[in-house]
Amino acid sequence: MKIVLGIKWVPNTQAVRFDPKTGTLIREGVPSIVNPHDLDATEFALQLKDKFGGRITAVSMAPPAAIMGLQHVIGMGVDDGILASDRAFAGADTLATSYVLAKVIEKIGGVDLVVFGQETIDSSTAHIGAQVASWLKLPYVYYVEKLVNYDEKKKEIAFLRKLEDREEVYRIKLPAVISVAMHSQKPRPVRMSYKIMAKLENPIQIWTNKEMGLDPRCIGLKGSPTIVGGITWTPEVPRKKEVFQGDPKEAVKWLIDKLKEEGVIPF
Amino acid sequence: MSFDPSARKKKKVDCGKLCPEWECRQPGEFEGIWVIGEIEDGQIHEASLQMLTPARNIAEKLQTWIEGVLIGGDKEALEKAAKEVIYHGADKVRIIYHPDLKVYSADQYALVLSEEAKRVKPEVIFVAATLRGREFGPYIANTLRAGITADCTNFDVDMKTGDVVMIRPPFGAIMLAHIKTPTRRPQMGTARPNVFPIPERDESRTGEITWIELESIPQRRAFLEEVTIIPQTELPIEKADYLVSGGRGVATKELWSLLEELAKEMGAVVAGSRKAVDMGFIPHEKQVGQTGKTVKPKLYIAVGISGAAQHTFGIREAGIVVAINKDPEAPIFKASDYGIVGDAKEVLPLLIEEIKKLK
Ligand SMILES: Cc1cc2nc3c(=O)[nH]c(=O)nc-3n(C[C@H](O)[C@H](O)[C@H](O)COP(=O)(O)OP(=O)(O)OC[C@H]3O[C@@H](n4cnc5c(N)ncnc54)[C@H](O)[C@@H]3O)c2cc1C
Ligand SMILES: Nc1ncnc2c1ncn2[C@@H]1O[C@H](COP(=O)(O)O)[C@@H](O)[C@H]1O
Repeated sequence: MKIVLGIKWVPNTQAVRFDPKTGTLIREGVPSIVNPHDLDATEFALQLKDKFGGRITAVSMAPPAAIMGLQHVIGMGVDDGILASDRAFAGADTLATSYVLAKVIEKIGGVDLVVFGQETIDSSTAHIGAQVASWLKLPYVYYVEKLVNYDEKKKEIAFLRKLEDREEVYRIKLPAVISVAMHSQKPRPVRMSYKIMAKLENPIQIWTNKEMGLDPRCIGLKGSPTIVGGITWTPEVPRKKEVFQGDPKEAVKWLIDKLKEEGVIPF
Repeated sequence: MSFDPSARKKKKVDCGKLCPEWECRQPGEFEGIWVIGEIEDGQIHEASLQMLTPARNIAEKLQTWIEGVLIGGDKEALEKAAKEVIYHGADKVRIIYHPDLKVYSADQYALVLSEEAKRVKPEVIFVAATLRGREFGPYIANTLRAGITADCTNFDVDMKTGDVVMIRPPFGAIMLAHIKTPTRRPQMGTARPNVFPIPERDESRTGEITWIELESIPQRRAFLEEVTIIPQTELPIEKADYLVSGGRGVATKELWSLLEELAKEMGAVVAGSRKAVDMGFIPHEKQVGQTGKTVKPKLYIAVGISGAAQHTFGIREAGIVVAINKDPEAPIFKASDYGIVGDAKEVLPLLIEEIKKLK
């Protein structure tokens, strides 16, 4: 099975601290990581490869530093990586990002399955999977948790996916796009030996727009229909903001009295 | 300032500047607001009805109409849903019907809806960001080469240009980004369930229902083979009146079980912050906040939660908010009614004891 895996290199929002004075998150010095939900996707793709053989190519559109993200998933067992990186790609919204990714996948050629994470921790749009599917005119299923069946002859694969109150089994014709449900897998650790190989054999290619040859009107800012027009502040919800600081016993009594006054004791 | 509808026609797009993969269309050709109605188990989804709230607001500002758009293969369910959509505020409803559309399939539904949108040319499309909406919505946007903004928390109109302003918190801030798509129509936006209320139901409302009976539809390539409904053992957090919510500050086995005990004693449902989800203490459907759920309990008790804007966004509709946190500087105290500065390890057992006494 020829698999493409989409990963994003994101600031580690876990390590981002909140600045109560300015109300913003402190991003300086925050290390970047592979989007954690993409590790679920990586694990899922690796399991397919373990079972059916084939090749996994990780792709990312990002500045050069994201090469570390590709090295990370290669360390987990992914075969090689392609980083689409060019100043001309900068400022892309999800339409323009998905365009470049779709063109990368086209250029790779012969891909059976494209695997994405459910969403990124920094933007959480969950757009990219569906948008890449749309550019490539492929069927797709989101929130995949498990493989149910793969029929190599018929080129069909069946997955179990979960919505809030139901599990669904989808059979889908290949080539197809899926997104893997976040928290659904236990991503395997990086193996040092793989990582060293990754550095020695250098299986990561960087494709700039020289290699890609995309129309500048379709990429980056120009290829993005959405623009950020301004910034405002979230209106604060009026709250009483009464705070008790002191003996915990007293504090709890104080709180119970307040809740009684408000009539929000459940019994 | 009010919007001058003739401004629509004044907008001109230079086709030579557009990506050749985008069909060049003048914004002036587009009018009306679509609200896509999701039908689940024969019923219109509440989250779709909620989208009629911002749609009404935008329709008034743009002096235009709201059209509910339904797709499916079950005439009875479609007819029933269409009435609900009108009772809740749509001016009219468009029903796209084909017997083979009985079962949802993301790309097929999205392609059918995109084709209809190309023909009808609405200037705005709203989709509820349910799990299915998050799946088919971006495919429609992409097929139309339209801009789409996910998880908006509000919508507005730029009165000069008539552009819809999609308002959403960007990465890591209390700030709100105002996102527009000045040169492309339709303009698409989604909002998570419960961010907006369902408009009042009024059975006296009427509206035209247009049936589009398709002769052929794109081939289905993803087939739903099996559905297993998971029985729900407790109320979903968005329906609960009492929530006890935990964050990283209680993300240890010992403290979390105290949190659960408190919830049990109170008859409350347990929820949590994104960190509680990331650390495996609760599933994502119990996450409160911008990328989780908006909840409206009578009482929300946040324990060991710092109060990041992405979290408190989810509790702005809550009745009384209580915070227990050992850091007196934690922003959660500014977003709550009653706060206790203290260690959950000490405060929770005492609170459980007091609650027991009350019963
Ligand atoms: C795009 C985006 C979307 C997001 N969406 C959401 C969302 O929907 N929901 C959400 O919750 N977050 C969301 N986040 C994450 C959010 O920014 C915060 O990182 C998160 O809410 C913090 O979780 P927390 O309060 O549990 O943890 P922390 O911020 O680590 O806070 C832990 C708190 O516990 C207190 N504490 C520690 N020990 C104790 C103790 N023993 N007793 C009492 N108090 C103690 C500490 O003082 C601290 O205030 C999002 C972030 C991004 C970037
Ligand atoms: N720049 C990117 N390069 C490669 N894959 C991406 C990129 N951005 C997002 N993805 C993939 O698309 C998924 C959904 O991302 P998002 O739409 O940003 O929430 C992620 O989990 C990744 O698998």
